[in-house]
Amino acid sequence: MEYDTMMMDNESSGPSVKISEADAIHVNFELNNVDLSFANSLRRIIQAEVATVAIDLVNFAANSSVLADEFIAHRLGLIPLDSRGADQMLYSRDCDCDQSCGKCSITLTLHASCTSDEVMKVYARDLLVGADRPNVHVGNPVITDPDGLGPLICKLRKGQELNIQCVAKKGIAKEHAKWSPCSAVGFEYDPHNKLHHLDLWYEKDVAKEWPKSKYADEEEPAQEGEPFDYDAVPGRFYYEVEGVGSIDPDAIVQSGIKEIQTKLASLIHGLTGNDGMNDIYDGPRSPDADMDGGAGWQTSYGNAPDQGWGGGTTYGGQTSYGADQNGW
Amino acid sequence: MAPAPTSTSWDHEYNTLRRQKLFTDPPTDRSAYPLLQIAVDPHIESFDAIFEEGGLLDNGLADIDTRTFLDGDDRSPLASRNRLSIKYMGVHVQKSQVPPSNKFAKNREIFPAESMHPAQLVARKEESEELGGYFIVNGIEKIIRLLLVNRRNFPLAIERPSFQNRGPSYTSYGIIIRSVRPDETSQTNNLHYLNDGNVTFRFSWRKSEYLVPVLMILKALVETNDREIFEGLVGSPDSKGIKNTFLTDRVELLLRTYKTYGLYTKEQTRAYLGEKFRPVLGVSETLSNYEAGTEFLRKIVLVHLGNVNVTEKQDSDKFRLLLLSIRKLYALVAGECAVDNPDAAQNQEILLGGFLYGMIIKERLDELLSTGVRTSLRDYFRRNPARTFTSQEFGKDFPMKIFQKTTENLGEMLQYFLSTGNLNSQSGLDLQQVSGFTVVAEKLNFLRFISHFRMVHRGSFFAQLKTTTVRKLLPESWGFLCPVHTPDGSPCGLLNHLAHKCKIMTKAVDASAIPALAAELGVVSTSSAATDESVPVMLNGRILGWCKPAESRRIADTFRYWKVEGSHGVPLHLEIGYVPASNGGSYPGIYMSSEPARMTRPVKYLPLEKEDFVGPLEQPYMSIACTEPEVVSGESTHVEFDPTNMLSILANMTPFSDFNQSPRNMYQCQMGKQTMGTPATALRYRTDNKMYRIQTGQTPVVRSPLHNAYGFDNFPNGFNAVVAVISYTGYDMDDAMIINKSAHERGFGHGTIYKVKKITLKEESRSKNTKGVQKLFGFAPGVLMVQEGDVICAWHTVTADYSGNLVNRDGQTHFEKYKDSEVGFIEEVRLLGSDTGNEPAQTISIKFRIPRSPVIGDKFSSRHGQKGVASQKWPAVDMPFSESGIQPDIIINPHAFPSRMTIGMFVESLAGKAGCLHGLAQESTPFRFDEENTAGDYFGHQLKMAGYNYHGNEPMYSGITGEELAADIYIGVVYYQRLRHMVNDKYQVRTTGPVVSTTGQPIKGRKRGGGIRVGEMERDALLAHGTAFLLQDRLMNCSDYSRSWICRKCGSFLSVQPTVSPFLTKKKTVSTVRCRNCAVRLDHMKDGELAKITGEIWEDGQGNQWVGGEDTTLVAVPGALKYLDVELAAMGVKLKYRVDPKDATRRGPLIQTKWDGLASGRKADSQQPALVAA
Repeated sequence: MEYDTMMMDNESSGPSVKISEADAIHVNFELNNVDLSFANSLRRIIQAEVATVAIDLVNFAANSSVLADEFIAHRLGLIPLDSRGADQMLYSRDCDCDQSCGKCSITLTLHASCTSDEVMKVYARDLLVGADRPNVHVGNPVITDPDGLGPLICKLRKGQELNIQCVAKKGIAKEHAKWSPCSAVGFEYDPHNKLHHLDLWYEKDVAKEWPKSKYADEEEPAQEGEPFDYDAVPGRFYYEVEGVGSIDPDAIVQSGIKEIQTKLASLIHGLTGNDGMNDIYDGPRSPDADMDGGAGWQTSYGNAPDQGWGGGTTYGGQTSYGADQNGW
Repeated sequence: MAPAPTSTSWDHEYNTLRRQKLFTDPPTDRSAYPLLQIAVDPHIESFDAIFEEGGLLDNGLADIDTRTFLDGDDRSPLASRNRLSIKYMGVHVQKSQVPPSNKFAKNREIFPAESMHPAQLVARKEESEELGGYFIVNGIEKIIRLLLVNRRNFPLAIERPSFQNRGPSYTSYGIIIRSVRPDETSQTNNLHYLNDGNVTFRFSWRKSEYLVPVLMILKALVETNDREIFEGLVGSPDSKGIKNTFLTDRVELLLRTYKTYGLYTKEQTRAYLGEKFRPVLGVSETLSNYEAGTEFLRKIVLVHLGNVNVTEKQDSDKFRLLLLSIRKLYALVAGECAVDNPDAAQNQEILLGGFLYGMIIKERLDELLSTGVRTSLRDYFRRNPARTFTSQEFGKDFPMKIFQKTTENLGEMLQYFLSTGNLNSQSGLDLQQVSGFTVVAEKLNFLRFISHFRMVHRGSFFAQLKTTTVRKLLPESWGFLCPVHTPDGSPCGLLNHLAHKCKIMTKAVDASAIPALAAELGVVSTSSAATDESVPVMLNGRILGWCKPAESRRIADTFRYWKVEGSHGVPLHLEIGYVPASNGGSYPGIYMSSEPARMTRPVKYLPLEKEDFVGPLEQPYMSIACTEPEVVSGESTHVEFDPTNMLSILANMTPFSDFNQSPRNMYQCQMGKQTMGTPATALRYRTDNKMYRIQTGQTPVVRSPLHNAYGFDNFPNGFNAVVAVISYTGYDMDDAMIINKSAHERGFGHGTIYKVKKITLKEESRSKNTKGVQKLFGFAPGVLMVQEGDVICAWHTVTADYSGNLVNRDGQTHFEKYKDSEVGFIEEVRLLGSDTGNEPAQTISIKFRIPRSPVIGDKFSSRHGQKGVASQKWPAVDMPFSESGIQPDIIINPHAFPSRMTIGMFVESLAGKAGCLHGLAQESTPFRFDEENTAGDYFGHQLKMAGYNYHGNEPMYSGITGEELAADIYIGVVYYQRLRHMVNDKYQVRTTGPVVSTTGQPIKGRKRGGGIRVGEMERDALLAHGTAFLLQDRLMNCSDYSRSWICRKCGSFLSVQPTVSPFLTKKKTVSTVRCRNCAVRLDHMKDGELAKITGEIWEDGQGNQWVGGEDTTLVAVPGALKYLDVELAAMGVKLKYRVDPKDATRRGPLIQTKWDGLASGRKADSQQPALVAA
């Protein structure tokens, strides 16, 4: 009967979170009493829209290593940087500065040249973080190995030199995977497949061939002869968030939730408010809507709205594409 | 204690540290990958064979006869003229080095790659496993192809309809003996069977064919008589052969028809032959006819049995072999023996590159004497008629001046051969082709490179044959040629690859003990034509004797036992071709061979449990079990060491290839060679024209031990990808594959192209060797990234001023531009001079690096012939994911499997997944699983241990909705290759662009921005589809649409012209167009008419005034039509166009326009009302 009371409790109290496990890079939690769509949104947001900081621009002053410039730049981009307090930074595109400034970016420099006969290894710890940044954490390369080296960037031989200046910016994984705060997000519901969303394939014996879910103990398996509940919907979701070190896993989830809230707020705002403010410029709209009085649904073609398509003029020496008819 | 030698044994494990160590400290004793060297060895050894002591060249020189030249007048008697005899005694090859004229070279030596250990090679900026075996000609790596040729010194029974074309009464039966001299040059002898039972001997000499009665050859070889020949063919009077009336009848006829020649003794016959073949052979005038006849026999008849100082014993060997061949021919005709298939590996051997190279050298040297020196001497005496060989002046001039005049340039000829692959030869070298001998050893990736060395071509002659018989995969090639590794398409079956354990003999093995042993074992010299009575025992095409068929098996078995045992002086690599007597099968006998150019392969000899080498001739008659369990006691004599020995190197790299449908493995062998992989480790020091390189290469999780043994981890060829088999978005239809966008951003499949562009300032004129600097380069400092149109470098002409400074005087700067449409980076710039070192460095070679990350349209494939094109980069959040949050890198459609049946890919996926979960390298050698121990169980168990589904399926969730997908998804890890076919090199699109000036149609060619032709068939398709608008759009509007004036009245394009107004300036002219043909010139009018003029008077460009011709109009026509009109007009053909609404094409059926149709009671619902409306 405990099960029932728990259900009752939860139903009354709305969405709830139960954290089952957490350490420096993992957090496992259970989300209760939410919709599948909401649960998935949270997963998607965590995976793609939590802002972090990563190297986005690399200026090479010298590179005589065996690796090509763009190859090193790509490697640098994928080095996780500490993104705690990244919300204090601006997106570069929203910043007033010309190129980059302390509000929207962090400068990291690396100058290594090998003078010994030994092969020199350049690690992420060799990146020097510029002082002009919002707080002392953000932009530091994430170093988790016991030797405190961080990822290997490249190796240098005697006489080779690497002198670069990197600009780290804030971004989200939707734009580029290097801004992803997590390596993977595990997501599961209905460990006993009671909802029959999935038709498990088996050769002889389901129980033998399919491993038990990790969360099988959390929920009661279907009883023998239990009638199938057609109205049941998934309500308990098990997450497993594995961070890459740039943000603590709990912070990833929290910023994810915050991000959802912001998104929903702007959606609600967009749906409710026509309060005469400047919402014309808010939110998405079709390119020509209300711009020059034309009907929004009409596609203008070749700047000749009354001509229909493929009018006589295009039959000339040139087709209309790219001709000076200022079509978009 | 000395350090342990570098280990050369490899398993299937990753061996990461060991490989790293091999890279950081290259071994100083030997390569860790000896198999690679073994793969290339036939090439290298064949070249070594040329120059070694008693090698091909020494033998070749012995074969080149002494040339005798005469001085004095051609008409004076022979005896009065002096003779000069020249013979080659030896050839010395200079050590290869940079020419001495080069004063700048620090090191003149040129090193052969072999004989150096990896550390030395690396120090010299070579690959650590540089194999050699190829030539660098003009900076391109060229390799001489291996060619399949007929087995040497063995009479092949052939039935070929084309033999009938030799002349009347010729039949399709014949015997071919490809007789090979010790210098590896060959002379093919043919015997033809004629309708009446006669036999002719055919050979070709300097590309012409000659026919000789075979008896003439027999009688010329030895002093013999008809009885001896009869008994030699039929057998002794007490043998069974004598009862064979088919044979005796024909032999009788053979002997009788020969009587007409009236040649009885050896002397007569040789003199007769000598007289006839003197001019053909070009023998010296000093030789008698008899001697010329002897030369003929030496040079042409069964040369393998003696081609230098032929002894009587050798002649008698030739005689006996010829008799056997005739016997075999009669047996063939009588149906007592089967034909030998020249397309089967059984009757083939391999022409090695070095042997061919040696042949060319020999022929060139021969030519030098017979043509070069001869003409040079003739010239000399024409210029100095008074001199003779004995005169003092000649003694002074002799070697130097005469040889200087000869035009033969050996090195240049060889270079020509290597760079073009064309054979420029008088004799044709007894080969069936004159071109295509060399190919470029492309370093696209290492698989392709190594394959070039294992490639065997059947000959370009066969590529033109319409029949497919030569392309068939025959069971005889088991273990020698790979059944999988052949391209599909035109070279299919002609271009094969050697099985990886197949070894090609490059030296003769010592078989000197064999004849004595044969005699000991009961081989006798008497024989019979009946093969159930006696069968021949041959060694290298020489008949050792005869034995009873029952004994032949015992003899062969004894030899084999001794051979494997290594006793009695029987070499291990001897081929003992025991052909058992059978009812109408192959001609029986024991055919032993110890000669080079044979294929051979190791198998285990069961009686001794030791390694034996078998050849293609013996193999079909042996019982070799594939695996130990298949050994049949009492029957199997051998067992394979490994069933994968029959596969080529590449075919061995396909994991679990035994699970796949066979064509898929063939496709993989093709695609493996097209992969954008790692061409070399010394990439930095190479300047190939184009090189592809994968940036993020990995070692496959699933691989066989051979992968390590061949060192393929030094040249990664792909990457392990998480692959889900699911139909997800529709973007995976039809072999398209979806790539995870995040994976792409993390570097999945990224690659680079290196292109090298050479810019030279050298004048093309070869006449003056410019030593002074005439032009100077200029570079913009620090420019590394270039885009289309950017200037790479500039140059201007310079001359020296009075103080010696080079200054530019014309003030013109020339620019060299970057022409590719992609962004490139300048990787390296080299300054090039010349080898000789006497020219200024006037050429630059620029290496561009062009990054190529995968884009939509790039081609990828797994290792199972499953290729696909990237169709989308799908955002990671929208990708399906497993419960643990794993998202696939690649999604492929399940429909890729049912019809292709590449189960190997499924197994690889399972194995890869299990390998990743447990951190294992998975062994994937084919033929390791069977029905009892299945791969599915093996890897399923591993998956189960890791907590995964036994069958490799996983529940997955839609990334878009988060809902669990209704089916569990097959997901695993598969090694993927990125193929070099990339859209960036292929896309062709245009709206407007350059056109051909005559027709106005778009030009051809992707490079120049041309269009893709809508050809006849495409036109037909559009017509048939009823898409008339599209048709007009393609053929007219987007092609040569043009507007043109035409005269309505006379219907001509050509008579219209714009009017010229004398009053208005050109720009303001609103010109009208008038027809000159229909107009009347005012000054040609009669006065009376002038008054009646109606209409406007207009003026042409010459100031003539015209009236009329106003009925012109503007029409849209194809430009090509006008062009056609003009061309036809030039031939006097006029085209008249009707431009009238009346002439518009009729739509619908022709209908009476009269109204009496209605009156006569036609149906009212006919189509007339519509017509009325019109």
